[in-house]
Amino acid sequence: VSETFEHISCQEVVELVTDYLEGAMPPAEVARFEHHLSLCEGCIFYVEQIRLTIEAVGRIGEEDVPPEIRDGLVEAFREFKSRP
Amino acid sequence: MNTSQLEGIDTVTLSAGSLQAEFAPALGMTGVSLRHEGDELLDRQAGVLAYTRTGAVMGVPLLYPWANRLAGHDYMLDGHDVRLPSGPPLVHGVREARSVPFASLGPDEPAVDPDRFRGPDDRYPGGWKVFPAHWQQLPDETLHRREALDVIVSTIASLPPAQRAVIRMRDVEGCSAEEVCAALDLSQGNQRVLLHRARSRVRSALEQHLP
Repeated sequence: VSETFEHISCQEVVELVTDYLEGAMPPAEVARFEHHLSLCEGCIFYVEQIRLTIEAVGRIGEEDVPPEIRDGLVEAFREFKSRP
Repeated sequence: MNTSQLEGIDTVTLSAGSLQAEFAPALGMTGVSLRHEGDELLDRQAGVLAYTRTGAVMGVPLLYPWANRLAGHDYMLDGHDVRLPSGPPLVHGVREARSVPFASLGPDEPAVDPDRFRGPDDRYPGGWKVFPAHWQQLPDETLHRREALDVIVSTIASLPPAQRAVIRMRDVEGCSAEEVCAALDLSQGNQRVLLHRARSRVRSALEQHLP
C-alpha cells in the first residue's frame, strides 16, 4: 500500500484515544492513529493506561456504587441539561 | 488453512512455521489470534463477541503493526475471489460525525498537561518529552488496591456532573453508549466528549497517585 499519511502527534493521540476505543473513527483516521502507534511506544503505553483505567474504574462497580458518586446524580444531571 | 470457530464465529487459521494467525472473515478479516508455538500474542480483552457488539477495539495487541485491517473489500484467497460486505459488521465504519459540542459540555480542557509535550519548534512537535509509564509492568493489583480505588472514586466524585454521569453509567455500571445517550438524551458525539474528559481525568489522577 503506497499511501502518504498525514502524521498525527502524540498530543493529538491523547485526544483521539476515546474515539478510537469507541470505534467512532473514520477509517482513514484509524489508519493514521494505528500508524502512529506502530512507531511510538509512548503512545502504546498511553492507550494501555487508558485501557487499564477503564478496567480499574469497572472494579468499583463490583461492590456497591460508593455514595460519593451515587448520590445527587439525577439532580446534577438535571442541572447540566438545563444550562444553555 | 484450517477453519474453526471462536465464540461461535467462523474463523480461518493460516500457519507459517511456528506462527499461526487466526482471522474472522465475517468480521472484516479481523485478526482474532496470533500464536507463536502455542503462545497467544494478541490481548483480546473482552473477546470476539464483544467486538461484534460494540465494533470497538478494547485490547491493545502485544504485537504490531496490527494485522486486523484490510485495505479493500475484494481480494484473492486460494484462487477464489473474496468479497466482503461493506456494511455492518465490518468494523470501524463511520457511524456518525461528531456533533458540534454545546456550551454545557464545559471548557475544553486537554487530556494531558500540554507541558508534557514538545513545543512547535522541536524536531518532533507535539511528541512526548518523557514517555508515559508502562502500567502493564506494575505489580499485580496495583490499580485495584484500595488506595487506587479511593483515588478513582474521589476523582469521579469531583468531576462536573455530566462527566460523572457518563463515566458512571459507561465504566462503573457497564451500560452501552446507546443506553447512556437514551437515558441522558445526549448525542453520540457529546456522550463521547464527556466520556473522554472523564476517563482522561481519572487516568491523570491515577498517574499522580502511582509511585
